[in-house]
Amino acid sequence: MKNEIDAAIDGLTRRRFLQGSAMAGFGAFLAACTGGSSPGASPSNAIVIPTPPPATEAPSPSPTPKVVTGPLHWAQWPAYIDLVGKAGEDGEYKPGSSPTIEAFKKKFKVDVNYEEKILANEDFYATIQQQLVAGLSTGWDMITVTDWLAAKIISKGWAEKLDQADVPNCSANIRDALKNQVWDPNQDYHYPWQSGMTGIGYNKAALAKAGKAEPKSLVDLWALPANRITFLNEKRDTFGMGLLKLGKSADPQSTTADDLQAVHDDLKPLTDGGARFVGNEYIQDFASKKTWAALTWSGDLASSGSEDDRWVAPTEGSMIWTDNVVIPKGAANKYTAQLMINFCYDPKIAAQIANYVYYVSPVKGAKEEIAKLDPDAAKNPLLFPSDDVVAKQKNFQFLSDELETKMNELYSDLAGT
Amino acid sequence: MRAPGPGWRHRIGRATPFLLLAPGILWLIIFFVVPSIQMFLTSVSTGSVDSGFKLTFSSRAYETAFTRFPRQLTNSLVYGGLATVLTFLIGFPVAYTIAFRGGRYKNLLLFLVIAPFFTSFLIRTISWKILLNDAGPVIGPLKEAGLVGEDFGLLYTPLAVVAGITYNFLPFMVLPLYVALEKIDPRLIEAAKDLYASNFGAFRRVTFPLALPGVFAGSILTFIPALGDWVNAELLGNTQTKMIGNVIQDRFIGQGDYPVAAALSFILMAGILVAVSLYARFLGTEQLTG
Repeated sequence: MKNEIDAAIDGLTRRRFLQGSAMAGFGAFLAACTGGSSPGASPSNAIVIPTPPPATEAPSPSPTPKVVTGPLHWAQWPAYIDLVGKAGEDGEYKPGSSPTIEAFKKKFKVDVNYEEKILANEDFYATIQQQLVAGLSTGWDMITVTDWLAAKIISKGWAEKLDQADVPNCSANIRDALKNQVWDPNQDYHYPWQSGMTGIGYNKAALAKAGKAEPKSLVDLWALPANRITFLNEKRDTFGMGLLKLGKSADPQSTTADDLQAVHDDLKPLTDGGARFVGNEYIQDFASKKTWAALTWSGDLASSGSEDDRWVAPTEGSMIWTDNVVIPKGAANKYTAQLMINFCYDPKIAAQIANYVYYVSPVKGAKEEIAKLDPDAAKNPLLFPSDDVVAKQKNFQFLSDELETKMNELYSDLAGT
Repeated sequence: MRAPGPGWRHRIGRATPFLLLAPGILWLIIFFVVPSIQMFLTSVSTGSVDSGFKLTFSSRAYETAFTRFPRQLTNSLVYGGLATVLTFLIGFPVAYTIAFRGGRYKNLLLFLVIAPFFTSFLIRTISWKILLNDAGPVIGPLKEAGLVGEDFGLLYTPLAVVAGITYNFLPFMVLPLYVALEKIDPRLIEAAKDLYASNFGAFRRVTFPLALPGVFAGSILTFIPALGDWVNAELLGNTQTKMIGNVIQDRFIGQGDYPVAAALSFILMAGILVAVSLYARFLGTEQLTG
């Protein structure tokens, strides 16, 4: 139900100003993943990061027949693949509107049922969780979920093991910084789709009209009128940024329940004053000037906002995350799904996608291909953030069960439920 | 040996009502009784979605449900109640006009009442976001004229939630009222006037009492779904305006806390049942059937 609502909201207002508007600080991208400081990759023994299931089962219980079957069912976030024509302007996929998918269909002579069904990890997870627990097929052949959820699904043994021989592009082209994730060190179960950052989005014109300075830091954002700001319903983003705002390290290993409580107490006056929690639909509130500034994801305002919308990495730091493609257990068209992942790891295709979605491509060589497609994008200082921004990126994805429960409780209290 | 004819016929005849009821009863058993039992069992279970729920007859969920959400319960009752009163105040004149003054436009007017319902509930609610927006058709001109302050807003306030619920459930009030009013024999009103009743007197002593079954049905049809509604609060409200439906939704989807979600649903259902039976007793059960 929630997904449908969000989808409906999304469909109403997404507008797209491709490449036209320069987004302040929108970059962070590529460097985000190439930087040596990629925090998500640092293994740790203190924190409970979900790990893949032990390989007790036979190495390959049932080798996937190399037969293309379809239609391929792919659950995706909105405006998360290259779109052209009217769909490109609306930011809403319609059959036939994505050159990548059309090319795939033509090449492999198979139909693709691509649906923009994911607007929040938790809501989507709720739609597949019971099937996975019961060992039933989810109906999806490919899902695109953020680190923590991908890790959770993999650790529970709910992901199909990839046949590396079928995804040669992936193993060859995945960016080094994205490899060696503790939760799936050998890419047995996942490949990254795009990476992005969580920072501050704001509307320059609305702030100027109200006589407010443009926020540079989280402290600035917190100080704006509460009923004009929104936070993210992706709890890890909001609490991670809340920790940074308080000058705490948003490091899952050192964060305590008391730290989360402090974030809650810091946010409480704002939510009492009208600050809200939203997902991708913040785009709509920006368009109507209802929201002046908000915690937002790096690519959205660039791809779907107005020319007055800006995105900055706050001085305190920002969140970095990756959305990953996973084939859920029991997928009917596993081989075709692998073909699709492999197809999208062709640097040309990856560049085509990244140049539309404005997020960081996980594919080596995509940068050069983007330069060929759109020289401005490659020269754009926003695409390549300063070392300072990269150094302050934090990954607040993997929480212990104890912290997650605490965070859920605190979030519910803030959200009024 | 007895001829089977008449006796057999007789028995079939007696069974007819039950046979006719069977599809409905079966439907209720499968889609109401069974889920209700399941919901109750979930509400007294403990566990998590991943590890499964075990029936432990724990009362934890009910303790949480009764103690943690006073604000959301109050919101539901207040918003649902206000919306019901408002739909009545708006709907009665509409239904009255259509029933008594509609003439040959009756069908057209009724169609207009339900026409918005050809659009999805969600889209209609989302449209209110556009209507109530700061630059929207409601507040925009007021701001231009300087009648309200620059920071004045309606969207994401309790008022917006009540307005949304009122709008969304208006036809559920108008249609039963219309049916009740339409059935009134105009000669009764004429008779009242012949007996020196004023216009208002005739309305108060004849028309309105005869329309009570419609009022009853309309307010039940409005209040019950309004009480459990969460879409309007989700889309048009803020964190302070969440209703009990939002809590159930969050517990179920956001937190995977099925027992509390089930307990809340159960309490809501029981509460409505009690309220409706009191209401029915007050207005008389026969009103239910008209």
